[in-house]
Amino acid sequence: MQQAIPYKSLPLPCIDATSHRARSTTTLGHNGRGKDVLNIVSENAVIVLARKGCCMSHVVRRLLLTLGVNPAVHEIDEENEAGILNELGTICKGTENNKMVQLPAVFIGGRLFGGLDKVMATHISGDLISVLKDAGALWL
Amino acid sequence: MPFSNLPLLVYIYQIWEEEGIEAIETWNVGEQQELEGDEESKLSIALDINSTCAKVAFFIISKSMNSPTPQFVPSRLGIYEPIHQIGIWGENFKSNGNPNTSTSVIVEVDNKLENESETTSHEMLTASKNYEQEASKPIDKIQRRLAQNREAARKSRLRKKAYVQQLENSRLKLIQLEQELQRARQQGLYMGGVLEGSHIGFSGTVNSGIAAFEMEYGRWVDVQHRQICELRTALNAHISDIELRILVESGIGHYFELFRMKSTVAKADVFYVISGVWKTSAERFFSWIGGFRPSELLKLDPLTEQQILEVCNLKQSCQQAEDALSQGMEKLQETVSSTVAGGPVDEVSYIPQVATAMEKLEALVSFVNQADHLRQETLQQMSRILTTCQAARGLLALGEYFHRLRALSTLWATRPPEPSLP
Repeated sequence: MQQAIPYKSLPLPCIDATSHRARSTTTLGHNGRGKDVLNIVSENAVIVLARKGCCMSHVVRRLLLTLGVNPAVHEIDEENEAGILNELGTICKGTENNKMVQLPAVFIGGRLFGGLDKVMATHISGDLISVLKDAGALWL
Repeated sequence: MPFSNLPLLVYIYQIWEEEGIEAIETWNVGEQQELEGDEESKLSIALDINSTCAKVAFFIISKSMNSPTPQFVPSRLGIYEPIHQIGIWGENFKSNGNPNTSTSVIVEVDNKLENESETTSHEMLTASKNYEQEASKPIDKIQRRLAQNREAARKSRLRKKAYVQQLENSRLKLIQLEQELQRARQQGLYMGGVLEGSHIGFSGTVNSGIAAFEMEYGRWVDVQHRQICELRTALNAHISDIELRILVESGIGHYFELFRMKSTVAKADVFYVISGVWKTSAERFFSWIGGFRPSELLKLDPLTEQQILEVCNLKQSCQQAEDALSQGMEKLQETVSSTVAGGPVDEVSYIPQVATAMEKLEALVSFVNQADHLRQETLQQMSRILTTCQAARGLLALGEYFHRLRALSTLWATRPPEPSLP
Protein backbone atom coordinates (compact mmCIF):
# COMPACT_ATOMS: atom_id res chain seq x y z
CA MET A 1 0.00 0.00 0.00
CA GLN A 2 2.99 2.27 -0.22
CA GLN A 3 2.65 5.06 -2.69
CA ALA A 4 5.37 6.79 -4.51
CA ILE A 5 6.82 9.48 -2.34
CA PRO A 6 7.74 12.61 -4.25
CA TYR A 7 10.93 14.03 -2.91
CA LYS A 8 10.77 17.74 -2.41
CA SER A 9 13.74 19.73 -1.27
CA LEU A 10 11.67 22.78 -0.55
CA PRO A 11 8.21 22.83 0.92
CA LEU A 12 5.53 24.02 -1.44
CA PRO A 13 3.90 27.26 -0.42
CA CYS A 14 0.38 26.22 0.41
CA ILE A 15 -1.61 29.40 0.40
CA ASP A 16 -4.42 28.15 -1.72
CA ALA A 17 -6.80 25.89 0.22
CA THR A 18 -7.39 23.67 -2.79
CA SER A 19 -3.80 22.58 -2.77
CA HIS A 20 -4.49 20.63 0.40
CA ARG A 21 -6.23 18.11 -1.73
CA ALA A 22 -2.94 17.13 -3.25
CA ARG A 23 -1.30 14.39 -1.31
CA SER A 24 2.13 15.47 -0.25
CA THR A 25 4.71 13.77 1.82
CA THR A 26 7.94 15.56 2.45
CA THR A 27 11.09 14.14 3.87
CA LEU A 28 13.62 16.31 5.54
CA GLY A 29 17.18 15.55 4.77
CA HIS A 30 19.89 15.89 7.32
CA ASN A 31 19.91 19.58 6.71
CA GLY A 32 16.48 19.89 8.19
CA ARG A 33 16.03 22.34 10.95
CA GLY A 34 13.19 23.23 13.20
CA LYS A 35 12.61 26.40 11.25
CA ASP A 36 11.97 24.50 8.09
CA VAL A 37 9.57 22.33 9.92
CA LEU A 38 7.79 25.32 11.28
CA ASN A 39 7.46 26.66 7.79
CA ILE A 40 5.90 23.50 6.66
CA VAL A 41 3.62 23.42 9.60
CA SER A 42 2.34 26.90 9.17
CA GLU A 43 1.77 26.44 5.50
CA ASN A 44 -0.42 23.42 5.81
CA ALA A 45 -3.83 23.39 7.33
CA VAL A 46 -3.30 19.89 8.57
CA ILE A 47 0.00 18.17 8.81
CA VAL A 48 1.22 15.13 10.60
CA LEU A 49 4.75 14.88 11.77
CA ALA A 50 5.88 11.35 12.21
CA ARG A 51 8.81 9.06 12.31
CA LYS A 52 9.62 7.11 9.24
CA GLY A 53 7.59 3.98 8.91
CA CYS A 54 5.59 4.73 12.01
CA CYS A 55 2.38 2.77 12.02
CA MET A 56 0.68 5.21 14.32
CA SER A 57 0.97 7.91 11.70
CA HIS A 58 -0.83 5.53 9.42
CA VAL A 59 -3.65 5.41 11.94
CA VAL A 60 -3.86 9.18 12.14
CA ARG A 61 -3.78 9.49 8.43
CA ARG A 62 -6.55 6.98 7.92
CA LEU A 63 -8.68 8.63 10.52
CA LEU A 64 -8.31 12.02 8.95
CA LEU A 65 -8.98 10.55 5.54
CA THR A 66 -12.29 9.13 6.66
CA LEU A 67 -13.27 12.64 7.63
CA GLY A 68 -12.45 13.87 4.20
CA VAL A 69 -9.16 15.48 5.02
CA ASN A 70 -5.99 14.72 3.14
CA PRO A 71 -3.32 15.47 5.66
CA ALA A 72 0.20 16.24 4.63
CA VAL A 73 2.58 13.86 6.26
CA HIS A 74 6.03 14.93 7.14
CA GLU A 75 8.45 12.18 7.90
CA ILE A 76 11.34 12.85 10.15
CA ASP A 77 14.54 10.95 10.10
CA GLU A 78 15.73 9.51 13.31
CA GLU A 79 18.86 11.54 13.52
CA ASN A 80 16.99 14.79 13.18
CA GLU A 81 14.25 13.74 15.46
CA ALA A 82 15.68 14.96 18.72
CA GLY A 83 16.73 18.30 17.30
CA ILE A 84 13.45 18.96 15.62
CA LEU A 85 11.46 17.97 18.63
CA ASN A 86 13.51 20.30 20.75
CA GLU A 87 12.90 23.17 18.40
CA LEU A 88 9.25 22.40 18.25
CA GLY A 89 9.12 22.17 21.99
CA THR A 90 10.54 25.65 22.44
CA ILE A 91 8.37 27.05 19.72
CA CYS A 92 5.22 25.49 20.94
CA LYS A 93 5.81 26.29 24.55
CA GLY A 94 3.96 29.46 24.14
CA THR A 95 0.75 27.74 23.12
CA GLU A 96 -0.64 25.32 25.69
CA ASN A 97 1.40 22.57 27.15
CA ASN A 98 4.99 22.50 28.15
CA LYS A 99 5.61 18.84 27.62
CA MET A 100 7.73 17.48 24.87
CA VAL A 101 6.13 17.02 21.51
CA GLN A 102 5.22 13.40 20.98
CA LEU A 103 5.36 11.76 17.64
CA PRO A 104 3.23 11.42 15.67
CA ALA A 105 2.28 15.04 16.14
CA VAL A 106 -0.64 16.67 14.45
CA PHE A 107 -0.62 20.33 13.54
CA ILE A 108 -3.83 21.96 12.64
CA GLY A 109 -3.99 25.50 11.39
CA GLY A 110 -0.29 25.97 11.92
CA ARG A 111 -0.48 25.13 15.60
CA LEU A 112 0.37 22.02 17.48
CA PHE A 113 -2.82 20.16 18.12
CA GLY A 114 -1.56 17.07 19.84
CA GLY A 115 -0.80 13.42 19.43
CA LEU A 116 -2.99 10.51 18.48
CA ASP A 117 -4.58 10.61 21.93
CA LYS A 118 -5.84 14.10 21.44
CA VAL A 119 -7.07 13.41 17.96
CA MET A 120 -9.00 10.36 19.11
CA ALA A 121 -10.50 12.14 22.09
CA THR A 122 -11.54 15.12 20.02
CA HIS A 123 -12.96 12.88 17.37
CA ILE A 124 -15.05 10.91 19.84
CA SER A 125 -16.37 14.02 21.48
CA GLY A 126 -17.37 15.24 18.06
CA ASP A 127 -15.29 18.38 18.06
CA LEU A 128 -12.67 17.33 15.57
CA ILE A 129 -14.71 18.18 12.53
CA SER A 130 -15.39 21.70 13.72
CA VAL A 131 -11.72 22.20 14.54
CA LEU A 132 -10.77 21.07 11.08
CA LYS A 133 -13.37 23.32 9.53
CA ASP A 134 -12.05 26.29 11.48
CA ALA A 135 -8.59 25.63 10.22
CA GLY A 136 -9.87 25.50 6.70
CA ALA A 137 -9.03 21.90 6.18
CA LEU A 138 -12.63 20.96 5.70
CA TRP A 139 -15.64 22.58 4.30
CA LEU A 140 -19.09 21.31 3.62
CA MET B 1 -31.28 -43.95 54.74
CA PRO B 2 -28.51 -46.30 55.56
CA PHE B 3 -29.64 -49.21 53.50
CA SER B 4 -26.39 -50.93 54.18
CA ASN B 5 -28.18 -52.39 57.11
CA LEU B 6 -30.76 -53.86 54.84
CA PRO B 7 -29.18 -57.29 54.62
CA LEU B 8 -29.21 -57.46 58.36
CA LEU B 9 -32.89 -56.85 58.54
CA VAL B 10 -33.62 -59.16 55.68
CA TYR B 11 -31.81 -61.82 57.61
CA ILE B 12 -33.96 -61.25 60.64
CA TYR B 13 -36.96 -61.36 58.41
CA GLN B 14 -35.92 -64.63 56.93
CA ILE B 15 -35.20 -66.25 60.22
CA TRP B 16 -38.56 -65.37 61.59
CA GLU B 17 -40.18 -66.50 58.44
CA GLU B 18 -38.55 -69.83 58.10
CA GLU B 19 -37.43 -71.23 61.36
CA GLY B 20 -38.88 -69.19 64.14
CA ILE B 21 -36.58 -68.32 66.87
CA GLU B 22 -34.44 -71.37 67.16
CA ALA B 23 -32.07 -70.80 64.33
CA ILE B 24 -31.08 -67.27 65.07
CA GLU B 25 -27.41 -66.79 65.18
CA THR B 26 -25.76 -64.23 67.25
CA TRP B 27 -23.83 -61.45 65.75
CA ASN B 28 -22.34 -58.36 67.16
CA VAL B 29 -24.32 -55.33 66.25
CA GLY B 30 -23.05 -52.02 67.45
CA GLU B 31 -22.28 -51.64 71.05
CA GLN B 32 -24.92 -53.94 72.34
CA GLN B 33 -23.79 -56.12 75.17
CA GLU B 34 -23.68 -59.84 74.67
CA LEU B 35 -26.39 -61.55 76.61
CA GLU B 36 -26.58 -65.14 77.50
CA GLY B 37 -27.26 -67.62 74.83
CA ASP B 38 -30.98 -67.89 74.92
CA GLU B 39 -32.77 -67.04 71.77
CA GLU B 40 -34.91 -64.34 73.17
CA SER B 41 -31.95 -62.41 74.24
CA LYS B 42 -30.29 -63.01 70.93
CA LEU B 43 -33.29 -61.75 69.21
CA SER B 44 -33.24 -58.76 71.47
CA ILE B 45 -29.75 -58.13 70.28
CA ALA B 46 -30.89 -58.50 66.76
CA LEU B 47 -33.60 -55.99 67.37
CA ASP B 48 -31.52 -53.82 69.60
CA ILE B 49 -29.60 -52.24 66.76
CA ASN B 50 -29.20 -48.53 66.29
CA SER B 51 -32.22 -46.35 65.90
CA THR B 52 -31.60 -45.52 62.28
CA CYS B 53 -31.60 -49.12 61.36
CA ALA B 54 -34.79 -49.69 63.20
CA LYS B 55 -36.35 -46.82 61.35
CA VAL B 56 -35.24 -48.45 58.17
CA ALA B 57 -36.95 -51.61 59.26
CA PHE B 58 -40.19 -49.77 59.71
CA PHE B 59 -39.68 -48.04 56.45
CA ILE B 60 -39.32 -51.34 54.68
CA ILE B 61 -42.22 -52.82 56.50
CA SER B 62 -44.49 -49.92 55.83
CA LYS B 63 -43.43 -49.91 52.22
CA SER B 64 -44.16 -53.57 51.84
CA MET B 65 -47.50 -53.08 53.48
CA ASN B 66 -48.27 -50.26 51.08
CA SER B 67 -48.51 -47.89 53.92
CA PRO B 68 -49.84 -44.47 53.01
CA THR B 69 -47.11 -42.87 55.06
CA PRO B 70 -43.80 -44.34 54.03
CA GLN B 71 -41.97 -41.67 55.92
CA PHE B 72 -41.02 -42.31 59.44
CA VAL B 73 -42.64 -39.30 60.98
CA PRO B 74 -42.54 -39.15 64.70
CA SER B 75 -46.06 -38.64 65.83
CA ARG B 76 -48.37 -40.42 68.07
CA LEU B 77 -49.93 -42.09 65.13
CA GLY B 78 -46.58 -42.66 63.53
CA ILE B 79 -45.20 -44.53 66.43
CA TYR B 80 -48.08 -46.85 66.62
CA GLU B 81 -48.48 -47.43 62.97
CA PRO B 82 -45.28 -49.35 62.42
CA ILE B 83 -46.01 -51.33 65.48
CA HIS B 84 -49.28 -52.20 63.93
CA GLN B 85 -47.32 -53.32 60.92
CA ILE B 86 -45.16 -55.54 63.03
CA GLY B 87 -48.27 -57.08 64.39
CA ILE B 88 -49.47 -57.73 60.88
CA TRP B 89 -46.06 -58.99 59.97
CA GLY B 90 -46.30 -61.45 62.74
CA GLU B 91 -49.78 -62.38 61.58
CA ASN B 92 -48.61 -62.97 58.03
CA PHE B 93 -46.18 -65.58 59.07
CA LYS B 94 -48.77 -67.58 60.76
CA SER B 95 -49.22 -69.33 57.48
CA ASN B 96 -45.53 -69.85 56.88
CA GLY B 97 -43.53 -70.64 59.90
CA ASN B 98 -44.52 -71.42 63.37
CA PRO B 99 -47.33 -69.05 63.93
CA ASN B 100 -47.40 -69.30 67.63
CA THR B 101 -43.68 -68.94 67.87
CA SER B 102 -43.78 -65.79 65.75
CA THR B 103 -46.29 -64.00 67.80
CA SER B 104 -44.83 -65.23 70.97
CA VAL B 105 -41.51 -63.90 69.74
CA ILE B 106 -42.84 -60.44 69.77
CA VAL B 107 -44.40 -60.81 73.11
CA GLU B 108 -41.39 -62.45 74.63
CA VAL B 109 -39.12 -59.87 73.11
CA ASP B 110 -41.24 -57.21 74.56
CA ASN B 111 -41.05 -58.76 77.92
CA LYS B 112 -37.33 -59.09 77.64
CA LEU B 113 -36.86 -55.57 76.50
CA GLU B 114 -38.76 -54.17 79.37
CA ASN B 115 -35.64 -54.57 81.38
CA GLU B 116 -33.29 -53.15 78.78
CA SER B 117 -32.00 -49.62 78.83
CA GLU B 118 -34.31 -47.31 76.98
CA THR B 119 -33.15 -46.20 73.58
CA THR B 120 -35.13 -44.86 70.69
CA SER B 121 -35.01 -48.23 69.04
CA HIS B 122 -36.90 -49.63 71.94
CA GLU B 123 -39.62 -47.10 72.06
CA MET B 124 -41.61 -48.67 69.31
CA LEU B 125 -41.39 -52.07 70.90
CA THR B 126 -42.31 -50.64 74.22
CA ALA B 127 -45.12 -48.88 72.52
CA SER B 128 -45.94 -52.19 70.90
CA LYS B 129 -46.28 -53.66 74.31
CA ASN B 130 -48.73 -50.92 75.08
CA TYR B 131 -50.64 -51.67 72.00
CA GLU B 132 -50.60 -55.39 72.46
CA GLN B 133 -51.32 -55.55 76.11
CA GLU B 134 -53.14 -52.25 76.48
CA ALA B 135 -51.25 -51.77 79.65
CA SER B 136 -51.43 -48.43 81.40
CA LYS B 137 -47.90 -47.15 80.89
CA PRO B 138 -47.46 -43.66 82.21
CA ILE B 139 -48.22 -41.17 79.41
CA ASP B 140 -45.27 -38.91 80.03
CA LYS B 141 -42.85 -41.70 79.23
CA ILE B 142 -44.39 -41.97 75.81
CA GLN B 143 -44.28 -38.23 75.48
CA ARG B 144 -40.63 -38.20 76.41
CA ARG B 145 -39.82 -40.75 73.80
CA LEU B 146 -41.83 -38.86 71.23
CA ALA B 147 -39.89 -35.74 72.05
CA GLN B 148 -36.62 -37.61 71.75
CA ASN B 149 -37.69 -38.88 68.41
CA ARG B 150 -38.61 -35.42 67.21
CA GLU B 151 -35.31 -34.14 68.43
CA ALA B 152 -33.39 -36.80 66.60
CA ALA B 153 -35.33 -36.15 63.41
CA ARG B 154 -34.71 -32.44 63.64
CA LYS B 155 -31.01 -32.97 64.19
CA SER B 156 -30.88 -35.26 61.25
CA ARG B 157 -32.61 -32.67 59.06
CA LEU B 158 -30.14 -30.00 60.15
CA ARG B 159 -27.23 -32.27 59.43
CA LYS B 160 -28.58 -32.97 56.00
CA LYS B 161 -29.03 -29.27 55.32
CA ALA B 162 -25.47 -28.53 56.41
CA TYR B 163 -24.18 -31.32 54.26
CA VAL B 164 -26.00 -30.06 51.18
CA GLN B 165 -24.72 -26.55 51.81
CA GLN B 166 -21.20 -27.88 52.06
CA LEU B 167 -21.65 -29.75 48.81
CA GLU B 168 -22.81 -26.61 47.02
CA ASN B 169 -19.87 -24.62 48.28
CA SER B 170 -17.45 -27.32 47.27
CA ARG B 171 -18.99 -27.43 43.83
CA LEU B 172 -18.57 -23.70 43.31
CA LYS B 173 -15.05 -23.88 44.59
CA LEU B 174 -14.30 -26.73 42.23
CA ILE B 175 -15.48 -24.73 39.25
CA GLN B 176 -13.38 -21.78 40.33
CA LEU B 177 -10.34 -23.96 40.78
CA GLU B 178 -10.83 -25.50 37.38
CA GLN B 179 -10.99 -22.07 35.82
CA GLU B 180 -7.84 -21.01 37.60
CA LEU B 181 -6.12 -24.16 36.56
CA GLN B 182 -7.08 -23.61 32.96
CA ARG B 183 -5.82 -20.07 33.05
CA ALA B 184 -2.60 -21.10 34.75
CA ARG B 185 -2.13 -23.86 32.24
CA GLN B 186 -2.60 -21.51 29.34
CA GLN B 187 -0.29 -19.04 30.90
CA GLY B 188 2.17 -21.78 31.64
CA LEU B 189 2.13 -22.87 28.03
CA TYR B 190 2.39 -19.32 26.85
CA MET B 191 5.17 -18.48 29.26
CA GLY B 192 6.97 -21.62 28.20
CA GLY B 193 6.85 -20.35 24.64
CA VAL B 194 8.14 -16.96 25.63
CA LEU B 195 10.96 -18.32 27.71
CA GLU B 196 12.10 -20.57 24.96
CA GLY B 197 12.05 -17.82 22.38
CA SER B 198 13.65 -14.98 24.24
CA HIS B 199 17.34 -14.90 24.89
CA ILE B 200 17.06 -11.92 27.12
CA GLY B 201 16.65 -12.25 30.83
CA PHE B 202 13.40 -10.39 31.14
CA SER B 203 11.49 -13.49 32.03
CA GLY B 204 11.66 -12.82 35.75
CA THR B 205 10.21 -9.34 35.45
CA VAL B 206 7.69 -10.45 32.91
CA ASN B 207 6.52 -13.28 35.11
CA SER B 208 6.10 -11.08 38.13
CA GLY B 209 4.35 -8.40 36.10
CA ILE B 210 1.96 -10.93 34.68
CA ALA B 211 1.39 -12.62 38.03
CA ALA B 212 0.64 -9.27 39.64
CA PHE B 213 -1.80 -8.41 36.87
CA GLU B 214 -3.54 -11.78 37.14
CA MET B 215 -4.15 -11.24 40.82
CA GLU B 216 -5.31 -7.68 40.33
CA TYR B 217 -7.59 -8.66 37.51
CA GLY B 218 -9.17 -11.40 39.62
CA ARG B 219 -9.95 -8.78 42.23
CA TRP B 220 -11.18 -6.40 39.56
CA VAL B 221 -13.69 -8.96 38.33
CA ASP B 222 -14.96 -9.51 41.87
CA VAL B 223 -15.38 -5.79 42.47
CA GLN B 224 -17.05 -5.45 39.09
CA HIS B 225 -19.55 -8.11 40.01
CA ARG B 226 -20.29 -6.38 43.28
CA GLN B 227 -20.77 -3.05 41.52
CA ILE B 228 -23.18 -4.59 39.06
CA CYS B 229 -25.27 -6.02 41.87
CA GLU B 230 -25.25 -2.65 43.61
CA LEU B 231 -26.36 -0.94 40.42
CA ARG B 232 -29.15 -3.41 39.95
CA THR B 233 -30.55 -3.00 43.43
CA ALA B 234 -30.11 0.77 43.21
CA LEU B 235 -32.06 0.96 39.96
CA ASN B 236 -34.81 -1.24 41.33
CA ALA B 237 -34.99 0.81 44.49
CA HIS B 238 -35.21 4.11 42.56
CA ILE B 239 -32.63 5.95 44.59
CA SER B 240 -31.91 9.62 44.11
CA ASP B 241 -30.09 10.92 41.08
CA ILE B 242 -27.12 12.12 43.09
CA GLU B 243 -26.52 8.73 44.62
CA LEU B 244 -26.94 7.09 41.25
CA ARG B 245 -24.44 9.51 39.80
CA ILE B 246 -21.91 8.40 42.38
CA LEU B 247 -22.45 4.78 41.43
CA VAL B 248 -22.12 5.60 37.73
CA GLU B 249 -18.92 7.53 38.33
CA SER B 250 -17.40 4.71 40.34
CA GLY B 251 -18.44 2.23 37.68
CA ILE B 252 -16.76 4.20 34.92
CA GLY B 253 -13.74 4.81 37.11
CA HIS B 254 -13.50 1.09 37.63
CA TYR B 255 -13.08 0.57 33.90
CA PHE B 256 -10.42 3.25 33.84
CA GLU B 257 -8.67 1.31 36.58
CA LEU B 258 -8.63 -1.72 34.31
CA PHE B 259 -7.09 0.30 31.49
CA ARG B 260 -4.37 1.49 33.84
CA MET B 261 -3.63 -2.05 34.90
CA LYS B 262 -3.48 -3.16 31.29
CA SER B 263 -1.13 -0.35 30.40
CA THR B 264 1.28 -1.43 33.13
CA VAL B 265 1.32 -5.06 32.14
CA ALA B 266 1.55 -4.14 28.46
CA LYS B 267 4.90 -2.58 29.16
CA ALA B 268 6.00 -5.85 30.71
CA ASP B 269 4.63 -8.10 28.00
CA VAL B 270 2.41 -6.70 25.29
CA PHE B 271 1.73 -10.07 23.69
CA TYR B 272 0.20 -11.21 26.94
CA VAL B 273 -2.36 -8.42 26.73
CA ILE B 274 -3.01 -8.80 23.04
CA SER B 275 -3.44 -12.55 23.17
CA GLY B 276 -6.11 -12.10 25.77
CA VAL B 277 -5.22 -15.19 27.81
CA TRP B 278 -6.19 -13.21 30.87
CA LYS B 279 -9.78 -13.16 29.67
CA THR B 280 -12.21 -16.02 29.54
CA SER B 281 -12.58 -17.90 26.28
CA ALA B 282 -15.88 -16.34 25.21
CA GLU B 283 -14.56 -12.84 25.85
CA ARG B 284 -11.46 -13.67 23.88
CA PHE B 285 -13.66 -14.56 20.94
CA PHE B 286 -14.69 -10.92 20.68
CA SER B 287 -11.27 -9.52 21.48
CA TRP B 288 -10.03 -6.49 19.56
CA ILE B 289 -6.55 -5.20 20.27
CA GLY B 290 -6.45 -6.64 23.75
CA GLY B 291 -10.01 -5.95 24.89
CA PHE B 292 -13.60 -5.37 23.88
CA ARG B 293 -14.54 -3.29 20.84
CA PRO B 294 -15.45 0.26 21.87
CA SER B 295 -18.50 0.04 19.61
CA GLU B 296 -19.86 -2.68 21.89
CA LEU B 297 -20.43 0.03 24.44
CA LEU B 298 -23.04 1.60 22.24
CA LYS B 299 -25.79 -0.99 22.45
CA LEU B 300 -28.11 1.12 24.49
CA ASP B 301 -31.28 2.62 23.06
CA PRO B 302 -31.40 6.32 23.86
CA LEU B 303 -34.63 8.06 24.54
CA THR B 304 -34.78 11.57 23.16
CA GLU B 305 -34.25 12.53 19.54
CA GLN B 306 -31.26 14.60 20.46
CA GLN B 307 -29.75 11.58 22.10
CA ILE B 308 -30.41 9.43 19.09
CA LEU B 309 -28.53 11.90 16.96
CA GLU B 310 -25.64 12.15 19.39
CA VAL B 311 -25.34 8.41 19.84
CA CYS B 312 -25.45 7.99 16.10
CA ASN B 313 -22.59 10.42 15.72
CA LEU B 314 -20.70 8.69 18.48
CA LYS B 315 -21.22 5.33 16.82
CA GLN B 316 -19.85 6.68 13.60
CA SER B 317 -16.84 8.33 15.20
CA CYS B 318 -16.15 5.24 17.23
CA GLN B 319 -16.32 3.04 14.19
CA GLN B 320 -14.01 5.35 12.25
CA ALA B 321 -11.49 5.36 15.05
CA GLU B 322 -11.67 1.60 15.38
CA ASP B 323 -11.14 1.18 11.67
CA ALA B 324 -8.18 3.51 11.71
CA LEU B 325 -6.60 1.56 14.53
CA SER B 326 -7.34 -1.74 12.84
CA GLN B 327 -5.69 -0.57 9.66
CA GLY B 328 -2.73 0.65 11.63
CA MET B 329 -2.44 -2.79 13.17
CA GLU B 330 -2.56 -4.38 9.74
CA LYS B 331 0.18 -2.09 8.57
CA LEU B 332 2.22 -3.05 11.60
CA GLN B 333 1.74 -6.71 10.82
CA GLU B 334 2.84 -6.15 7.25
CA THR B 335 5.88 -4.23 8.38
CA VAL B 336 6.97 -6.77 10.95
CA SER B 337 6.31 -9.61 8.58
CA SER B 338 8.34 -8.09 5.77
CA THR B 339 11.13 -7.20 8.16
CA VAL B 340 11.36 -10.69 9.54
CA ALA B 341 11.23 -12.19 6.06
CA GLY B 342 13.69 -9.69 4.66
CA GLY B 343 17.31 -10.26 4.02
CA PRO B 344 18.87 -13.21 2.32
CA VAL B 345 17.45 -16.52 3.36
CA ASP B 346 20.55 -18.53 2.77
CA GLU B 347 22.48 -16.70 5.41
CA VAL B 348 22.61 -18.24 8.81
CA SER B 349 22.43 -15.05 10.77
CA TYR B 350 19.01 -13.50 11.01
CA ILE B 351 19.68 -11.36 13.98
CA PRO B 352 19.53 -8.01 12.18
CA GLN B 353 16.11 -8.75 10.80
CA VAL B 354 14.77 -9.99 14.09
CA ALA B 355 16.28 -7.06 15.93
CA THR B 356 14.67 -4.60 13.56
CA ALA B 357 11.38 -6.40 13.85
CA MET B 358 11.59 -6.16 17.59
CA GLU B 359 11.91 -2.42 17.38
CA LYS B 360 8.81 -2.26 15.29
CA LEU B 361 6.94 -4.44 17.70
CA GLU B 362 7.41 -1.76 20.32
CA ALA B 363 4.65 0.03 18.49
CA LEU B 364 2.28 -2.68 19.68
CA VAL B 365 2.38 -1.23 23.15
CA SER B 366 1.15 2.09 21.88
CA PHE B 367 -1.57 0.32 19.92
CA VAL B 368 -2.84 -1.32 23.08
CA ASN B 369 -2.69 2.01 24.85
CA GLN B 370 -4.53 3.76 22.06
CA ALA B 371 -7.20 1.07 21.95
CA ASP B 372 -7.76 1.41 25.70
CA HIS B 373 -7.76 5.17 25.32
CA LEU B 374 -10.47 4.87 22.72
CA ARG B 375 -12.51 2.67 25.05
CA GLN B 376 -12.08 5.21 27.77
CA GLU B 377 -13.11 8.14 25.63
CA THR B 378 -16.13 6.32 24.29
CA LEU B 379 -17.23 5.47 27.82
CA GLN B 380 -16.88 9.07 28.86
CA GLN B 381 -18.73 10.43 25.88
CA MET B 382 -21.58 8.00 26.49
CA SER B 383 -21.85 9.14 30.06
CA ARG B 384 -22.00 12.73 28.80
CA ILE B 385 -24.77 12.03 26.32
CA LEU B 386 -26.96 9.96 28.61
CA THR B 387 -28.84 10.94 31.71
CA THR B 388 -27.69 9.50 34.99
CA CYS B 389 -30.39 6.87 34.99
CA GLN B 390 -29.68 5.85 31.42
CA ALA B 391 -25.97 5.71 32.13
CA ALA B 392 -26.61 3.51 35.14
CA ARG B 393 -28.72 1.17 33.06
CA GLY B 394 -26.07 1.19 30.36
CA LEU B 395 -23.33 0.30 32.83
CA LEU B 396 -25.50 -2.43 34.26
CA ALA B 397 -26.15 -3.83 30.80
CA LEU B 398 -22.45 -3.73 29.95
CA GLY B 399 -21.34 -5.38 33.16
CA GLU B 400 -24.06 -7.99 32.89
CA TYR B 401 -23.03 -8.68 29.30
CA PHE B 402 -19.45 -9.46 30.28
CA HIS B 403 -20.62 -11.42 33.29
CA ARG B 404 -22.72 -13.59 31.01
CA LEU B 405 -19.82 -14.02 28.63
CA ARG B 406 -17.74 -15.29 31.52
CA ALA B 407 -20.51 -17.66 32.58
CA LEU B 408 -20.71 -18.86 28.99
CA SER B 409 -17.01 -19.61 29.08
CA THR B 410 -17.36 -21.63 32.26
CA LEU B 411 -20.31 -23.54 30.90
CA TRP B 412 -18.52 -24.20 27.66
CA ALA B 413 -15.48 -25.47 29.49
CA THR B 414 -17.53 -27.91 31.54
CA ARG B 415 -19.76 -29.21 28.78
CA PRO B 416 -19.75 -33.00 28.35
CA PRO B 417 -17.40 -34.31 25.69
CA GLU B 418 -19.01 -34.70 22.33
CA PRO B 419 -19.58 -38.28 21.26
CA SER B 420 -17.27 -39.33 18.51
CA LEU B 421 -18.93 -39.75 15.17
CA PRO B 422 -19.40 -43.33 13.97
